[in-house]
Amino acid sequence: MQLFETLFNGFLLGGLYGVIGLGLSITFGTMRVVQLAHGDLIVLAAYFLVTVLVPTGIPVLLAAAMVVPALFAVGWGLQRFVIQPSLGRGVLPPLIVTFGISTVLQNVLLLQATADARTLHSSLASAGVHIGGITVAAVRLVDFAVALLCLGLLLLLLGRTALGRALRATSDDPDTARLMGINPRRMYAAAAAIAAATGGVAGVLLAATSTFYPATGSEMLLIAFEVVVVGGLGSLTGTFLGGILLAMSQLLGARLFGPSYALVTGHLVVLVVLVFRPEGLLPRTAP
Amino acid sequence: MTAQHPGADPGDGRGGKPGGAPGAGLGLGLGEDAPERTDEPAGALAGERRGRSAARLRAAIVAVAVALLVACPVWGGSGVRATLVLFSYYAALAVMWNRLAGYAGLVTFGQQLFIGVGGYTLAIACERFGVGVWPAFALTAVVCGVLAVPVGALTFRLKGGYFAVGSWLVSEVFRLLFGNSDYLGNASGLFIRQARSVDPWVVYYVAIALLVGMVALVVTALRSRLGLALMAIRDAEDAAASLGVHVWRVKLIAFVVAGAGTALAAALLTVQTPFIQPDAAFSIQWSAAASFMVVVGGLGTVEGPLLGAAVYVVLQQQLGGNGAVHLIVLGAVSVIMMLVEPRGIAGLFRDRLGWTLFPVARRPPRR
Repeated sequence: MQLFETLFNGFLLGGLYGVIGLGLSITFGTMRVVQLAHGDLIVLAAYFLVTVLVPTGIPVLLAAAMVVPALFAVGWGLQRFVIQPSLGRGVLPPLIVTFGISTVLQNVLLLQATADARTLHSSLASAGVHIGGITVAAVRLVDFAVALLCLGLLLLLLGRTALGRALRATSDDPDTARLMGINPRRMYAAAAAIAAATGGVAGVLLAATSTFYPATGSEMLLIAFEVVVVGGLGSLTGTFLGGILLAMSQLLGARLFGPSYALVTGHLVVLVVLVFRPEGLLPRTAP
Repeated sequence: MTAQHPGADPGDGRGGKPGGAPGAGLGLGLGEDAPERTDEPAGALAGERRGRSAARLRAAIVAVAVALLVACPVWGGSGVRATLVLFSYYAALAVMWNRLAGYAGLVTFGQQLFIGVGGYTLAIACERFGVGVWPAFALTAVVCGVLAVPVGALTFRLKGGYFAVGSWLVSEVFRLLFGNSDYLGNASGLFIRQARSVDPWVVYYVAIALLVGMVALVVTALRSRLGLALMAIRDAEDAAASLGVHVWRVKLIAFVVAGAGTALAAALLTVQTPFIQPDAAFSIQWSAAASFMVVVGGLGTVEGPLLGAAVYVVLQQQLGGNGAVHLIVLGAVSVIMMLVEPRGIAGLFRDRLGWTLFPVARRPPRR
């Protein structure tokens, strides 16, 4: 029963991990760029909520809702002014640029907010829910629900709207998309903004679920990377499943070997997946 | 002269213009093996002559630099010595990172794997098995070279940016496992008692030898078939493969050499420190430093990492240690440099003035 409780908690935490990975999946899917600062955008969102918005006395739910458009704007600005100029010259420039943004963000947070642990203090964080004999943290149920909503909205956006169609067209073939009257730069900016907005959601959930530090950004990036690689590059649903597998592995590792082995168990499971199924769980079929 | 066309692609400008014979710049960088030279017999002869004298001048510059380094006890004190050891360490790190990113097209943020494992190999050999410091030092290259084989085999399954992060992930696995190990002193790490009695001048000469050896290795390797194969892969992997380059094997060789070289540099720093802790040794900051040095100095050039390391060491001494401000400057300068002058300092010299110290350099592909 305890084992089942661990696995079920992992399943729910996997929702949060899925949201963490969505942004990386979207940026890579549209412009083939691995956004190395995505983890730091998530942590930036969490700091924005906990150290800027909440102290002003705004109701928490409203504050949380304000984080998402703020991150949307940050993502758009970064893409438009910093990342876009590095594109089109091979693999290295966008990697150096996004890694540089990551280093700057992480250390600016360290200077401004110190290395102290932060979290969103709320009644939700400590509440537990009993479901059929097992105990589940209430906040994880909320995480999972929000994550499902987030995934659903993104799938609708990409699959059913004109913007989504244009984004997919740009992803498949930017030159032909341009001939059809689509401006790839605007599509990239839109994709980066949407990706950062999912980072905003992830940041709010992170703040509500656990403590975080400036250095958590690197941890978030690695989680996002693992989730995307395990799920299969380019598949949002796969990303979500990857999140669930990773979170279950981590909690199982913590249960079996001790809490300090949670992260490393997750990493090792990802490496094993890479050995035996390098294309991931749900690889996107060839374009 | 390319200097008059700052906006033009210097690669095209050189071959395309009449009278734009290679090295028509300032007469130093003539040795660049530009194929256009054969189109024009007269220019070719002149180029050969100037090439030879330039080669002599270059050899003289390198010889003077090495002689100055060797004679350091005569002109420098312990402060200079410490700075130069630090410079050699960072330069070695950058030379190895450049070998991967600038020549093999393997952009990685995981070289701290070899810094950590290299340092720990030295610490374990000395502290747990009583091996002497210098045999242990040599052992680190072997251990990390061997380790690079499975790590490369696994991470090469990922391409581009995902390879960069995948190698970082492997390094994290080692950081967490080493930090959880009682045998390795957990998070507080190991202290290498033997290393306290090592003469600092011996450390200095090993550092200089290591740096000179690495530069020599890179120059020779790049002039060989393997070097050509590497650069072919970097510029167009599929095309290289179709011409019979065994892409995977060539990349793996580069990865193994870089792993072993990085480990030696790390082992040297561990001798000097002389302790090792998992969080510091496996820190992502080493990758931030390596990529900064190579981007600022000049990607895909031999002298670039050396220039970058000099800039890095000066910055570090000005800004004091590894604080947040230091890292913000590193990150911001990397971004600005990549956007404004992606060829770095060495590339700027070479393309604007036709000046190069080690003529094996090839530009990273533009577009």
